[in-house]
Amino acid sequence: MRTLRTLLIGTLLRAKHLSRSPFEVALALVIPLVQATLAVYLFRAGDEPHRLLEAAVGAGLMGVWASVLTGSGGAIQHQRFEGTLEIIMLTPRHPVLVVLPLTAATAVTGCYALVATLLWGRIVYGIPIDLAHPLAFGAATLACIAGLGMFGLLLASTFVLMRNANALANPLDYPIWLLSGMLVPISVLPAWTAPIAAVLPTTWGARALREATVGGPVWPSIGICLALGTVCLVLGAVLLKSFERRARAAATLALA
Amino acid sequence: MRTLRLMGIGGALAYRALFNWTTPAMYTGTLLAGPTFQLLFFAYLGRQLQVADDRFFIVGNAVLAASTACVFGGTMAVANERRYGTLGHVLLSPRSRTVVFWGRVLPYAGNGLLIAAFTLLMGVLLLGLRIPVTALPGLALALAAGSLACGFFGLALGALGLRFRDVWVVSNVSAALLLLLTGVNVPRDGLPDWMITVGQLLPITHAAEAARLLAAGRGLEAAAPALGRELLVGAGYAVLAALLLKVFEAESRRRASLETL
Amino acid sequence: MESDYAIEAEGLRRTYRTRTGWLRPRRETVEAVRGVDLTVRRGELFGLLGPNGAGKTTTIKMLNTLLIPTAGTARIRGFDVVEQTREVRRRIGYVFGGDRGLYDRLSALDNLRYFAELYGVPPRDQKRRIAELLELVGLTGRERERVEGYSRGMRQRLHIARGLLHAPEVLFLDEPSIGVDPVAARELRRTVAGLAANGATVVLTTHYMAEADELCDRIAVISGGEIQALGTPAELRSRADGRRVVEVEAYGVPDTAISALRGLPGVRETSVEDRGALQLLTVQSDAHVDVQGDVLRELAGIRLGRVDSREPTLEDAYVAIVGAA
Repeated sequence: MRTLRTLLIGTLLRAKHLSRSPFEVALALVIPLVQATLAVYLFRAGDEPHRLLEAAVGAGLMGVWASVLTGSGGAIQHQRFEGTLEIIMLTPRHPVLVVLPLTAATAVTGCYALVATLLWGRIVYGIPIDLAHPLAFGAATLACIAGLGMFGLLLASTFVLMRNANALANPLDYPIWLLSGMLVPISVLPAWTAPIAAVLPTTWGARALREATVGGPVWPSIGICLALGTVCLVLGAVLLKSFERRARAAATLALA
Repeated sequence: MRTLRLMGIGGALAYRALFNWTTPAMYTGTLLAGPTFQLLFFAYLGRQLQVADDRFFIVGNAVLAASTACVFGGTMAVANERRYGTLGHVLLSPRSRTVVFWGRVLPYAGNGLLIAAFTLLMGVLLLGLRIPVTALPGLALALAAGSLACGFFGLALGALGLRFRDVWVVSNVSAALLLLLTGVNVPRDGLPDWMITVGQLLPITHAAEAARLLAAGRGLEAAAPALGRELLVGAGYAVLAALLLKVFEAESRRRASLETL
Repeated sequence: MESDYAIEAEGLRRTYRTRTGWLRPRRETVEAVRGVDLTVRRGELFGLLGPNGAGKTTTIKMLNTLLIPTAGTARIRGFDVVEQTREVRRRIGYVFGGDRGLYDRLSALDNLRYFAELYGVPPRDQKRRIAELLELVGLTGRERERVEGYSRGMRQRLHIARGLLHAPEVLFLDEPSIGVDPVAARELRRTVAGLAANGATVVLTTHYMAEADELCDRIAVISGGEIQALGTPAELRSRADGRRVVEVEAYGVPDTAISALRGLPGVRETSVEDRGALQLLTVQSDAHVDVQGDVLRELAGIRLGRVDSREPTLEDAYVAIVGAA
């Protein structure tokens, strides 16, 4: 109970902090719109103009992932920069309770992107928001926040040790968008990518959202997304604990 | 001669001091791997949606690859001065600001060229694009023109940093707009007219057009007009950047906003 | 398990490895702390004094679990700082000086709520505890403003409130008064003294002698990574007993003159401090030798200002200890 409370309050306060940065908000709002627009024209130019709503949802989810990615790469980096990394590592709780809210908050603010692209599609391009399973869509969105937040934690845990965390984070947006089939289910990718895609929570989150949009058995995908997210969480927790110790030995906590 | 020295050596030193991304991890990650993944993303998406062939996306994204380094680099060339609190000292120099700041663009443009060439190579190796050997000198020219234009574009954005606090928002949004408006990833005839017009005024647009013609085996003569337009756009941004720097510098002295961060 | 000592440290050492360049990396090892032993009793206000880079912060970070010692052991209230981190962290607070370490875009209240949650303050106590602390550090009424608009002194006080949220038994204050104006610094000293009076153990590092002299029960002077002297302020001052200090304000003293001063019979310590165009020469000598005449003779031909002869202070003792290291 206390643990849940800590996670929730941590996430909300962190989201509040992020929402007050013009930089974060602009990135969460404007860039997904540009990408959604790009997606709209690509789909119109291609053979599948009828799938515009799917494209808008996909572009929105791309925004969520971009937010989580820069957020988790930046989570540790920002704390270093603000001088708070040492302070939060000094708390007598498990480091997961400290770091998970940081990445979960980026998934929450990333949802601005999802909402923004849907509205943009509706207002500018007249794409009706006509979801097959509205309720399941809500559930899938929540699952995406949780799943991506936990995936972000796994990434962030590796960044406790590394100074140049965002160097690794920056190029990871496109591959995940591509592999997880966020914009379209990618059938033209080489076969060896399929197993990788299958273990990414993002793949199943994207699939759940798509199924909720156009129809399909949403719930199994939600389940798999959350299960894979939990695996990330456990793995991240173990790594975080051992990395924390190594960081104490290598004196990398304070480096700005 | 002394002016050339200031542009060359000053530019190179400023590059080392102000460009945050020169560590091997950062360089490989952000500047080499990033554009390659971007290229793969759009190429596969294009294949899936059957919008255009591989060459369209590979060549287009290779030209665009220079933009990250150049747009953000150009911004850093001015904005990071502020971050380090050294802007005042630079502006106190008796030398021409225009030369100082134009000089800074050159290393970024060179870097952009390198990245664009690398990305094109990756496209060729990973996706099996064939480019006639005779087209290579022309392609190099197109990539260089795009990089240079992008560098001056970035410098103009960086100049905004003298006036506005959140210049990084501007450069991030501009980088995203380049993706959409330059027609690198969407065939331009599918875009509305106003977007096409804006695209004409942006760097990359014409360089990508020239590069595509060259990669398709059309000679340098066919690509020359587009190349010329790209250089013209670049020169336009160079002048704009110089103007903005002058105006904002004068203004900041009046409003005492120079060191406010 | 809990010990009567707040802090026990034996043979603490810490080396840093740095790597520069990546094509041909050059590795260097820096010994920041080379064998520190100390014990601090419960309720004691303990000062760590030393020049920049002496190893003060490294010592504190080993004691508060942020760094693992390269060698040696340390216990806080009987709990090992390397292995029993959770037990240790429950009992300690850490406050450092400077502008960083707070979430600027959140209000003081939100900052405290966040950390109260992280430090495991029971939910029903949080409101009361936060209000108490805001009152203690004098931020009541401003707590809903964003921290980005705070002055340095206010930030520093918020830092202290944050460090006290979970009522730690041992509080580490690392140069809390750095960059704080004199009035705010006096307030800060009052707060720190009040904490110790209420039974908390405080470890304070500072550059300001007067601060240490006024506050600390005992002081360790650390330099070159080792403790050079340890005792009450009075004991440390007595290190300079039997000495006399001559202070001379001068303009443009050449290095040769200074080394000549060092060679004078009876002179024990000579230091120069630049104050703009002016230089302040401090010459410590054995009390029974009057060196003032000799000093002035060596400085003949140099423009001089005020010349003063006085009893040594804690600062002089500190200069003597660090100079001898």
